[in-house]
Amino acid sequence: MLRVLLSRVRATLRRSRLDDELDDELREHLAMLQERFVRNGRDPSEAFYAARRQFGGVTQVREALMERSALPRMDVLLQDFSVAIRSLRATPVATAVAVLSLALGIGANTAIFSILNSLLLKSLPVREASQLVTLDSVGPNEYFEISYPVWNQIRQVRGFDHSFAWATDRVRLSDTGEATFAEAVWASGNVFEVLGVPAALGRTFAIRDDSRGGGANGPVALISYRYWQQHFGGAADAVGRTLTVERVPFTIIGVAAPSFLGLNVGTTFDVMLPLETEPLLGRTPERLEIATWTWLQVMARLPPGQTPESLTVALRAAQPGIRAETMPSFDHVEDRGRYLRAALIAKSAPGGVSRLRRQYGTALSTLLVVVGLVLLVACANIATLMLARTAARHDEFSVRRALGASGARIVRLLLAESLVLSAVGTGIGLLFAQWGSRLLVGQLSTWAYTAVLDLSPDWRVLAATSATTVATAIFFCVVPAYRAAGVAPIDALKRRRLGLAGNSSALSGGALLIVQVAVSLLVLVGAALFLRSFTALAYRDLGFDRGRILVAVVETRRSAVPPAGRVELYERVREAVARVPGVESAALSMATPLGSAGVRFTPDITAPANPVFSGRNVRILTNPVSPDWFRTFGTKILAGRDFDGRDRAGAQNVAIVNEAFATHYFGAASPLGQTLIEANSPMDRRSVEIVGLVQDAAFASVRDPIEPTIYRPLTQRLDERWLTSVSNISVSIRVAQGSTSARLAASVAAAISGVDRDLAFTFQTLTETLSVFYIRERLLALLSGFFGVLALLIAGIGLYGVTAYSVNRRRTELGIRMALGATPRSVLWLVLSRVLMFVGLGVLVGVGVSIWASQFLASLLFGIQARDPVALIEAATTLVLVAVLAGWFPAWRASHVDPASVLQES
Amino acid sequence: VATTKDRSEVLQGTLDLMVLKTLDALGPLHGYGIARRLEQVSDDQLRLNEGTVYNSLLRLVQEGWISSAWGASESNRKAKFYSITKTGRKQLARETESWERFSGVIGRVLRLGTDH
Repeated sequence: MLRVLLSRVRATLRRSRLDDELDDELREHLAMLQERFVRNGRDPSEAFYAARRQFGGVTQVREALMERSALPRMDVLLQDFSVAIRSLRATPVATAVAVLSLALGIGANTAIFSILNSLLLKSLPVREASQLVTLDSVGPNEYFEISYPVWNQIRQVRGFDHSFAWATDRVRLSDTGEATFAEAVWASGNVFEVLGVPAALGRTFAIRDDSRGGGANGPVALISYRYWQQHFGGAADAVGRTLTVERVPFTIIGVAAPSFLGLNVGTTFDVMLPLETEPLLGRTPERLEIATWTWLQVMARLPPGQTPESLTVALRAAQPGIRAETMPSFDHVEDRGRYLRAALIAKSAPGGVSRLRRQYGTALSTLLVVVGLVLLVACANIATLMLARTAARHDEFSVRRALGASGARIVRLLLAESLVLSAVGTGIGLLFAQWGSRLLVGQLSTWAYTAVLDLSPDWRVLAATSATTVATAIFFCVVPAYRAAGVAPIDALKRRRLGLAGNSSALSGGALLIVQVAVSLLVLVGAALFLRSFTALAYRDLGFDRGRILVAVVETRRSAVPPAGRVELYERVREAVARVPGVESAALSMATPLGSAGVRFTPDITAPANPVFSGRNVRILTNPVSPDWFRTFGTKILAGRDFDGRDRAGAQNVAIVNEAFATHYFGAASPLGQTLIEANSPMDRRSVEIVGLVQDAAFASVRDPIEPTIYRPLTQRLDERWLTSVSNISVSIRVAQGSTSARLAASVAAAISGVDRDLAFTFQTLTETLSVFYIRERLLALLSGFFGVLALLIAGIGLYGVTAYSVNRRRTELGIRMALGATPRSVLWLVLSRVLMFVGLGVLVGVGVSIWASQFLASLLFGIQARDPVALIEAATTLVLVAVLAGWFPAWRASHVDPASVLQES
Repeated sequence: VATTKDRSEVLQGTLDLMVLKTLDALGPLHGYGIARRLEQVSDDQLRLNEGTVYNSLLRLVQEGWISSAWGASESNRKAKFYSITKTGRKQLARETESWERFSGVIGRVLRLGTDH
């Protein structure tokens, strides 16, 4: 093998001389042969032909020898490509369709792969990322994060000297009025030293900066490169300036390296602050004190010779001590037990940690499969087109062979055409991918989360794309090339006007059609499933109006009003907002549906009428609200009354409950007039009377079943202890018909500031709040729908092309049939039935594969089964309709063939 | 002259063996000479386009089993002479042995039944 290759390489170097020698050698052979015939008594001219007959095709032998004696010649290869380009340009429409479908297919694959690559495969841009591990606290509640007291214990365990902790946070950069926010990271002082991340400007912070109240330089801050560019215009004097975080001045000491986007892959940070300076902000609860405030993520660099497993073992040994040392003051024994058992585990994490990865990893992988399938459909389609072209170019190939081209040369010609197609497709596809991947990542951002990914292509993306390009080219040229290589030189001389289509061509074309139909169906079923899942989620009745509600979260910590006077302050805010023109009604509450204020679960509610249940068995949500809350949100009061002026502090404690609550506690009996015991602490037990029943409304999740909820009057529920620890309140506004949230925001802001100018607030429409929870479903529905239509379109074009082509080939046959009395109808059916047969087979295969494959989508679906028959029927029906449409036009044309003109042609 | 039907197609690979043996037996020869020799020994039983001899020659040269050099033919024409190399002889011995074993087996199989 090697020897042959060496010999070919040697021959390549002496090519032109060898070519001449070969010519000489063959010429002499022929001359001697001819002489021999003359000697045997033949006529000289006769001998000339006899010699050539005996020798065989001189050019064929010569071409074959030249091709095999040395490596393929550059000029021959270039010639192949120029012939390829010429013949592709001769059929511009088919070429454009092929290039476009390839560009979309390869582009989509590259786009999604490059996102997956950044999200799942790339390592953090830090020193020796492979040595990094994360520490997770895994308990029955799936807490992933770690509290400060626990972290303080962990860092003292042997082998964890190179560990660091950080927490992501959102901080206000202005104090009053409408707030501006920055994404902050609180990190322990050794983080840059352990990671080996340098500063682009100034310095990174170090252990000496990480102490309570700040180090020698006072509280310091490091800003991200992005933030520096966006907010300081990249000014060199940014270092040394002051950044006011929640009213506390921090000195900017440096700018992080541009490649460092933080440790949370999928997002980035604006400012990084030493963890120990967090208490300066004076927030409650005190995040560095409480063992139940699990907000830290911990990573460590593996010491030499250690593995994640050995670190886990070390942690397990240290765990009882850590847990006992940090035990929070739980009221209930089972909480203590749960806390003790929560295991700490070290896992290798060269790629950092990522919420985006957890949320969208599966969805993106699924999309990669979908676009892979679309590419497969596109390839099968192009293969069909190429096959048709090959058949149409039968004459061309046989002439080429007669002129000395070998079978291999013809295959190379077709491969060149395929490569040109897929290379152009890839070129356009890469542009499409650049744009598409950015668009897609942008779609993942929400008001609560800024999605940022480093999408710069690395070797993996380049390798994957080149491999795809070559693989597609080979895929769609294999069948046509096999066919073309078999063309005999003599064919060119035969008259093949009769137009009776060969069977083998129809068969391999048919197989390709079946593949196209089956794969398209698979993509369509996926699209139908995701669309139905999204609709089920988006149109689920959540128990409130979505469209007309604007929520302002008001922060009162800066206000001069003491906590005791805040209920009254809130009420004045509500009245001021309600008076704004365009506001239909306004209500106060602690929680809003899926709002950022969060939901609160009360520890203990019992009903003397039914002692079986309590807030400990079932999560019960308590939401303190003002009168008019239900009217504002459009939640129906089914029985009883709304809260009103009677329900003051000191008056009879009252509550309104939702249906889920009523069913849980009282079954079918009416909850009205029933009494509940609300136990906030062993000392604080209140008897509460139920005065109203409202429809179920979602608070915590748009997906989960709606939980039992109890509403209490703000005035009765917000005692001083609560008001001291929670300083914000939500003002929900129902926008009147004819006005819009955007128009109202400014006047509502003025009204709030008019009550107390030290109040800070943020606005958000309920629609915006909710949109976050649909992103994955919306994205899957949108993209799979788009690619489903694309696959359908490509398959439709393929069907049309193949049918039109076969009609063309069978023109004579069809003409004869019609001349012999076949009706247009029967001819139409003749053609269409063939298409339908292939489509039917494809649908059968597709349905089978879909039923098997849909199980992998189950975790991504809401409200429907993975084997949803409706989705399957919808997809199959759509496909068959498109197929009939695609087959109809050529079939109709076939039925209008004029028999006379066909017979004249032959 | 035998009709096409009486002649046998030359198996790929078999031709290589025949060319190799010819060069071993007769010493250096040019392509024309090899074609004549094959015609002569096969008693016109082989159907052969003489051009295919050159395919064989190229293969054998590339494997290093034969070598070539320019010289003058009997009629004083310029011609390329091929001769067998040392590795070529070894290869020929191997091939001959395996061919004989193979044809022996085929022969026995084909005689089955006629003996009984």
